[in-house]
Amino acid sequence: MFPTPIERTSRAWQLTYRMLLPAALIMWLLPLIAVAIFSIKPAADFTTGNYWGWPSAFEGFTNYGKVFFESDMPRYLLNSVFITLPTVAGAVILSSMTGFALGIYRFRANILIFFMFVAGNFVPFQILMVPVRDLTLQLGLYNTITGLVLFHVAFQTGFCTLFMRNFIRALPFELIEAARVEGVNEFRIFWFVVLPLMKPAIAALAVLIFTFIWNDYFWAVVLTQGVETQPVTAGITSFNAQYRAAYHLMSAGSIIAALPPVLMFFLMQRHFIAGLTLGAVK
Amino acid sequence: MRSTLKAALAALATVAFTSGGTFGDGHSLTGNLKIFLDTSNPAPRATMEAMIGRFQEMHPDLEIDVTVIDREEYKTQIRNFLSANPPDVANWYAANRMRPYVEAGLFEDVSDLWQDPEIAANLASTKGALTIDGKQWGVPYTYYQWGVYYRKDIYEELGLSEAADWEQFVANCQAILDSGRKCFTIGTKFLWTAGGWFDYLNMRTNGFDFHMSLAAGDVSWEDDRVRQTFANWRQLIDMGAFIDNHQTYSWQEALPFIVNGEAVHYLMGNFAVAPLRDAGLTDDQIDFYQFPVINSAVLLAEDAPTDTFHIPANAENKEAARAFLKFVVSEDEQTEINNGSNLGQLPVNAKSSVDDDKFLREGFAMLSTNSPGGVAQFWDRDAPAEMAKVSMEGFQEFMVKPDDLDRILSRLERARQRIYN
Repeated sequence: MFPTPIERTSRAWQLTYRMLLPAALIMWLLPLIAVAIFSIKPAADFTTGNYWGWPSAFEGFTNYGKVFFESDMPRYLLNSVFITLPTVAGAVILSSMTGFALGIYRFRANILIFFMFVAGNFVPFQILMVPVRDLTLQLGLYNTITGLVLFHVAFQTGFCTLFMRNFIRALPFELIEAARVEGVNEFRIFWFVVLPLMKPAIAALAVLIFTFIWNDYFWAVVLTQGVETQPVTAGITSFNAQYRAAYHLMSAGSIIAALPPVLMFFLMQRHFIAGLTLGAVK
Repeated sequence: MRSTLKAALAALATVAFTSGGTFGDGHSLTGNLKIFLDTSNPAPRATMEAMIGRFQEMHPDLEIDVTVIDREEYKTQIRNFLSANPPDVANWYAANRMRPYVEAGLFEDVSDLWQDPEIAANLASTKGALTIDGKQWGVPYTYYQWGVYYRKDIYEELGLSEAADWEQFVANCQAILDSGRKCFTIGTKFLWTAGGWFDYLNMRTNGFDFHMSLAAGDVSWEDDRVRQTFANWRQLIDMGAFIDNHQTYSWQEALPFIVNGEAVHYLMGNFAVAPLRDAGLTDDQIDFYQFPVINSAVLLAEDAPTDTFHIPANAENKEAARAFLKFVVSEDEQTEINNGSNLGQLPVNAKSSVDDDKFLREGFAMLSTNSPGGVAQFWDRDAPAEMAKVSMEGFQEFMVKPDDLDRILSRLERARQRIYN
């Protein structure tokens, strides 16, 4: 069932493995490596056709400097923060409450409501595009950060509820019963008994949702326009001028845009991996 | 004595003209002036804001309110704001691009401004592009030339000179091909570059008026004159004049071929000069000429996409808006906003001066004096959007598979009958 650990295989296979691993790694990372190299090239390299060769000059500082000081990138990054953090908070708070309700209380429509939360995840984004745009337009939330946050919270809560409900189901029910016997009211049970036990799930979920929302491009383009509201993923295209695309600046911008989730991943790696499997096990 | 008086009068006329509203109308403007712009890139935005600042200085009592909207967003919003919440001035594009709004009655007829003899004379080159049904619906503020950009050093190496007619153009091309290079670089991935070729070949073969009739859907795509245009095009394709696999490149990705000397010409707009210079080519290595004559019976006509200012029909302060339009096209403002540190394009006012840049100077002279047939706006602005898309797909297909011409033309003809009805 499980693959044989590499240290127990033959010497020849071990050597092949060691040689193949870096090769596979480089192949896998090639697009990212290309973006990283593009980001330190001068603009002229793209007009002379020097796409893959050694940069004709090291322009890393100039490119990144331009991204930070001569473009709207800082504003876009800030927008991303203002979109991502409230969404993470909103989705996690709502779903820990819905998860608690669906996981602890037995009532008739429980399974039906739970399925509706789950079913929402199976509706493709593309189908929702036009109705959601019209809805935000009518609510006066089109092209506002609030509108994007509200929509993300609504959409992510479905997945988060699945995750939280299954996690709470896995908790020993005796704890809650014990609290009830003591006469603790339900809000206090949620706050003092269940919530502390949910900390790992909350951490994992927060990291996961942060990455989802930070990397969202689709809804950013559908629901927001312009520098006042768009997050960084959509803002990168602003390096396309009227006539020319600035590949070097776009690459530098992409690297910067990708840093927060990458940092988040390395800082919270444990939670991230836990998050990927937590909902799935039950 | 006489001549001094004349000069003084001329100077006075210039002052009156350039200072627009103040002298012309005899009283200062008041109220609000709401301006919507799509110049969202940093440099054009600064240019526009500076220009509006100068207008404000002339009319201190006017309350000017400027809204800059993202260029792409503007295209989707314009119909909405013109009818629901109109500004007093809005920028847009000439020719067919303004037709839907003119026909919907959303743009103000500004023929009265064009009656002014100064404007009529100085903006003559773009008058056609702003005329629909015999009336003018806006004023131009900038345009840029198209033409043949080429590697002068390779021309010198091969002993060639700028082609004045089609025979020499083809002969030059053959000499270039014999030297192991390609004649023309082009990237047709996004189609419009092939539209540029079609514009020039058709305008030189059949003339500006025929070209415009075709764009307006009045001529069959299976007409023999259209076939002649494609036959001329085919002559180059059969020689192998264009770079291989051009359908996989964008216009920018086709630049390395000319930079590295693998191809010698680029039929392109003047915006190609900046990246060529960035890539290290000097002005001794790149040069420009007007697309050569094919049929000497037709007048020369050029592509020069023009950006414009309009007054919405429902604007509130049309008096101030008219003064602003007059101010924008004035000789000094045209010189200022189009110079190298601002838009870096061509002024539409024939009296304006251009920067000391050989491409701008040649382009300005070409458009102001050597384009008697007219100024086209580019295929995807002259033809309706749907027809432009279908036809440019056809052009690209033709460049790759010239044998399929009959099938392509019959498809375009079917599209024409569907789209224009």
